[in-house]
Amino acid sequence: MINCRDCASALNPYLDRELSDEDVVQVRSHLEACGGCLHVYQFEESLRRLVKVRCRQQGAPEWLRERITVSLAMERIRQEQRRRPPEMRGAD
Amino acid sequence: MNAEAAGKATKPDETEAAANRARFEDEALKHLDALYRTALRMTRNPSDAEDLVQDALVRAYRFYDRFEPGTNFRAWLFKILTNTYINSYRRKQGRPQESSLEDTEEFFLYNQLSGDEGDRVTDVEDTVLDRLGADAIQRAIDHLPPQFRTTVQLSDVEGLSYAEIAEATGVAKGTVMSRLFRGRRQLQRALWEQAQAAGFTAGSKVHLDGPPKSDSDTNGVVARARGGTR
Repeated sequence: MINCRDCASALNPYLDRELSDEDVVQVRSHLEACGGCLHVYQFEESLRRLVKVRCRQQGAPEWLRERITVSLAMERIRQEQRRRPPEMRGAD
Repeated sequence: MNAEAAGKATKPDETEAAANRARFEDEALKHLDALYRTALRMTRNPSDAEDLVQDALVRAYRFYDRFEPGTNFRAWLFKILTNTYINSYRRKQGRPQESSLEDTEEFFLYNQLSGDEGDRVTDVEDTVLDRLGADAIQRAIDHLPPQFRTTVQLSDVEGLSYAEIAEATGVAKGTVMSRLFRGRRQLQRALWEQAQAAGFTAGSKVHLDGPPKSDSDTNGVVARARGGTR
């Protein structure tokens, strides 16, 4: 089984879900056996949650969505004008 | 037969392109909040962040033909955001503000908040950190050096994988990992500083009466360390 040092190093990739299945098993069995590391894990996990939940309260302002819809429409018109050969313009 | 004739009225690749363009807007706007939040961390200014997101999405739309279907659209959008920021906004904003955060021990907050043996905290909700609002947490992220800041934002707030962040920021996966490693440690210290600044930590074992560390003490450390992550 991995020791506390290895478990500490693996904690962030573990929380990021970036460990291999094999390593996940190693970390889990260490956390089941070691109260000290389990506390650290639980704390770090709750800290991640705090940061994510609070920061995600902020979103883009509504007018930005509208602004982007307008600028994409303008870009679409520009693209269509560029794509059509001159003799085709006004044909439809 | 009529259907076949109608199908020939427009070239198949043209109809496909039109459908793709319509799909672009739907798909891209799903990521608007995440793009805006990340742009805000990059520019640290709402008006620049709005312009940056708009410019990036128009560019992405223009180059949508080059997006390979089946690959990661979200990472591709963030990559264009990053490139747009580097090409236009970073230049406009001049030299990024240097961070004065020093490197920090691992599990800094846990160690700060846990008392003696048997008095371990297992949830930030039981600590002063729970009093930090969104503004304070975002300020803490803003204190990180720029390349750490974006990486931490993309991972810890937006939930991108290492591979997605690597694509979005144009670096190797190993660099993402080292930036997260160091950025998160610095974030823990920055969060603590926010809690201190708000007066939430009075009475804790941390010294509050000492003079704040001057920038000149720590800039060298950050500059050296940054060189090491390239």
